[in-house]
Amino acid sequence: MAISFTLNGKAQSVDVSPDMPLLWVLRDTLNMTGTKFGCGMALCGACTVHINGEATRSCITAISSVAGKKVTTIEGLSVDGSHPVQKAWMEEDVPQCGYCQSGQIMSAVALLSKKPNPSDTDIDDAMSGNICRCGTYQRIRKAIHRAASMQAGKA
Amino acid sequence: MSAVVRRRDFLRSSAAAGAALLLPFHLPGKLRGHHLSASPGSNSFSPNAWLELSANGDAKIWCGKSEMGQGVRTSLPMIVAEEFCCDWRRVQVLQADLDPKYGEQLTGGSGSVRDSYSNLRKAGAAAREMLISAAVAQWNVPRSECRAENGFILHAHTQRKIAFEELLSSASGLQPPANPPLKSPSDFTLIGKPTRRTDSLAKVTGSAKFGLDTRAPGLLVASVERCPMYGGTPRRSNADEVKSAPHVRAVIEVKSVHLTHQFGETSGPGSRNYSCSGVAVVADSTWAAMQARNLLKVEWNEPIVASESSASLREKMLRLASEPGTVIRSDGDFDKAHASAAKKIEAVYEVPFLAHATMEPVNCTAHVRGDFCELWAPTQIPGAAADSVAIALGIPRDHVKVHVTFIGGGFGRRLIQDYAVEAALISRDAGAPVQVVWSREDDIRHDFYRPAACHALQAGLNAQDQLLSWRHRGSSPSIETFYNGTGISPQASAQVDSLDFPALFIPNFRLEFTVAESGMPLGYWRSVDASGNQFVVSSFFDETAHAAGRDPLEFLLAAFGPARKIPVGAGNTLDVGRRRAVIELAAEKSGWHKPLAAGRGRGIAAAFGWGSYVAQVAEVTCDAKNGSIRVDRVVCAVDCGTAINPLSVKAQMEGAINFGLAQALKSEITVSNGRVEQSNFHDYEVLRMSDAPREIEVYIMPSTEPPGGCGEPGVPPAAPALANAIFAATGKRIRRLPIRVADLRSA
Repeated sequence: MAISFTLNGKAQSVDVSPDMPLLWVLRDTLNMTGTKFGCGMALCGACTVHINGEATRSCITAISSVAGKKVTTIEGLSVDGSHPVQKAWMEEDVPQCGYCQSGQIMSAVALLSKKPNPSDTDIDDAMSGNICRCGTYQRIRKAIHRAASMQAGKA
Repeated sequence: MSAVVRRRDFLRSSAAAGAALLLPFHLPGKLRGHHLSASPGSNSFSPNAWLELSANGDAKIWCGKSEMGQGVRTSLPMIVAEEFCCDWRRVQVLQADLDPKYGEQLTGGSGSVRDSYSNLRKAGAAAREMLISAAVAQWNVPRSECRAENGFILHAHTQRKIAFEELLSSASGLQPPANPPLKSPSDFTLIGKPTRRTDSLAKVTGSAKFGLDTRAPGLLVASVERCPMYGGTPRRSNADEVKSAPHVRAVIEVKSVHLTHQFGETSGPGSRNYSCSGVAVVADSTWAAMQARNLLKVEWNEPIVASESSASLREKMLRLASEPGTVIRSDGDFDKAHASAAKKIEAVYEVPFLAHATMEPVNCTAHVRGDFCELWAPTQIPGAAADSVAIALGIPRDHVKVHVTFIGGGFGRRLIQDYAVEAALISRDAGAPVQVVWSREDDIRHDFYRPAACHALQAGLNAQDQLLSWRHRGSSPSIETFYNGTGISPQASAQVDSLDFPALFIPNFRLEFTVAESGMPLGYWRSVDASGNQFVVSSFFDETAHAAGRDPLEFLLAAFGPARKIPVGAGNTLDVGRRRAVIELAAEKSGWHKPLAAGRGRGIAAAFGWGSYVAQVAEVTCDAKNGSIRVDRVVCAVDCGTAINPLSVKAQMEGAINFGLAQALKSEITVSNGRVEQSNFHDYEVLRMSDAPREIEVYIMPSTEPPGGCGEPGVPPAAPALANAIFAATGKRIRRLPIRVADLRSA
């Protein structure tokens, strides 16, 4: 039975097993590989997307639970890197291997939407579910602060 | 030393003396007789394998190493572009697939910049000189009056200037010079300039293609059940039953393939090397494959490792480290001197097995068609992937085509090509393109682990509280024995390095090692043996400083003595001045002598290898009551010779520090009955944002020395700098990793 939801602002319908995690629907069914598989247990954050604006681990989110909701993936922020958080990431030269960064960015965007000017403790709380094995944490922190000031400047 | 150094030798930190890698000299592309150049009149100028200039003036530069985060898709093209004198903003960087025209493509041993530097400069310079020749011919002016700059050839006297692309046709007809003049470092405009990564846009938009992102028409996905004990093979399974699960295309037994070679080099007798075996479920999607795999019931032929446990191995290593071992280095007379020491200290140190836990789980995509195989591989060594697959499939090596993808973290894991072989075997049997996807559990339980080790150390001080004697007895399973067999010499199988500090700086010094036999699969983990050994020696050295009642920084500098160069054989020298300089810089920037509040402390440690020099000072806050540790700040000084891209050097140091702190604070693999007990990030923990230092400061020594490596040398000092800081803060000495709350409370 087809499951319908909104994906990056567009209506999307998929006919897959209802228990299939959103992660694999995105990656295998829809060929949207920006969202990453890291652990399958919501332990690393590589698969983070937004569901109705909330940062959510797509690897443990059954597609059936997404019906009727709004899903945003890394591809939905911008394809040209123009989203302030993507810009801040590039300006701080954050990525190394880059594999975790889609998830890091999605968590950061969700954080900034709730707390436009997050403290370091806010950043620890919001970002500690996202593992970066290359160790870009210090730059991620700087990039979040930079994105916060970019967004404040625009407002 | 043989003319051709074996690939595996690159991975050890044996460049402790600062020696560069000795690679067979490799001429770029056309210089070797390859016909890569476009014929005159065509639309591009490509005088060698590394670069191509288009008619619109854009340049393409190929990266011959694997990008796994260390920034080679930026730093290596910068070297070409520097000499080529093109406009960096108009450079497009492309990944080189496996091809002999790119020379050795092994990415490891912190060697990418070091072993590419000279060739890439020549490649860029040859192209530049050809364009200058074309301009000289066109203008009929003396060559000495022409120069290249930012995509143009300039003639100063006449103020003429011509864009590279306008010379494309005439330059293409010229013979590339074999020995083009190279720029003087003082004329560098790109090398040494902080340059943002070329792959950031792809990595912040999700468009970067990692191995796991490979998609192809008709692609099937395989999930493989492997024996929980290394080397076990399937005896019986319910494959027929699982075949009928939804979306399953095939269930394939991967027969035991034992590859007795590592990087394309044959291993000796007694090598266990690596093997692939298991039962693969091949399905239409990753989820379907993983779900169906859960239905598999496999009985295994249990291998010899089935009796192994961390507890019994630890007992064995502790015993071996307490007994005389193979002498790796001996200076003076330890026994005699130690007997006369005024003060003696001793301690035992332990480090565990570690998994790499790259963020991109192990994977490879293969498509076997007849006796051809195409691979899309996140590999650090595409040449070995081709070698291994050719052997496993019994096809000619040049029938294996390897596409090198972005790598979601390497750290040494992707030097071993077991996963490429698996993918090829499964694709052959499935008769379709297949992507083998390892789960995180597969990754943690079936890695090639950094060996666990035990070390027993003794040191003696003379009446003036100077270091008189030092004996270090180490024992651990041996990576070299695992791959090269039991036939290699005890010295070659040692997991310690005869040049590691404090060798050469203590008059009566002995380093001994004994291999602890183990059935565990072993591999190269970012900084290899130094990852654990540096924790041991830098911590114990700190113990000796405190025993002497001296400031650890001053004790360290006193041990080194004055700046000088010490010959260490094979034409290599050990530069004491460069060692001292990074230690002094890190200490100065950290405010080493500034007092800290109670519960806070600073520790210092240094590492030298891969052609680079690194010192780090860690600053911690400890709460003795609940055993908590917060790493407030790490200050790092690095001398990596010529820093091609200072931004990238800094990033590598930051990452290495976090990687080293993960092993200090979090990570441990244990074994019980041959089975790895951890499985995912809840029980194999790594560093998270909240654990990471708020501040890491990196200071790069200005230098015109040849470039040194940067991927690994920042790792080894991080754990001992932290452990020494904890001692300064609490008086508790950390002698095993990872640091446990109990050790903080009672050590």
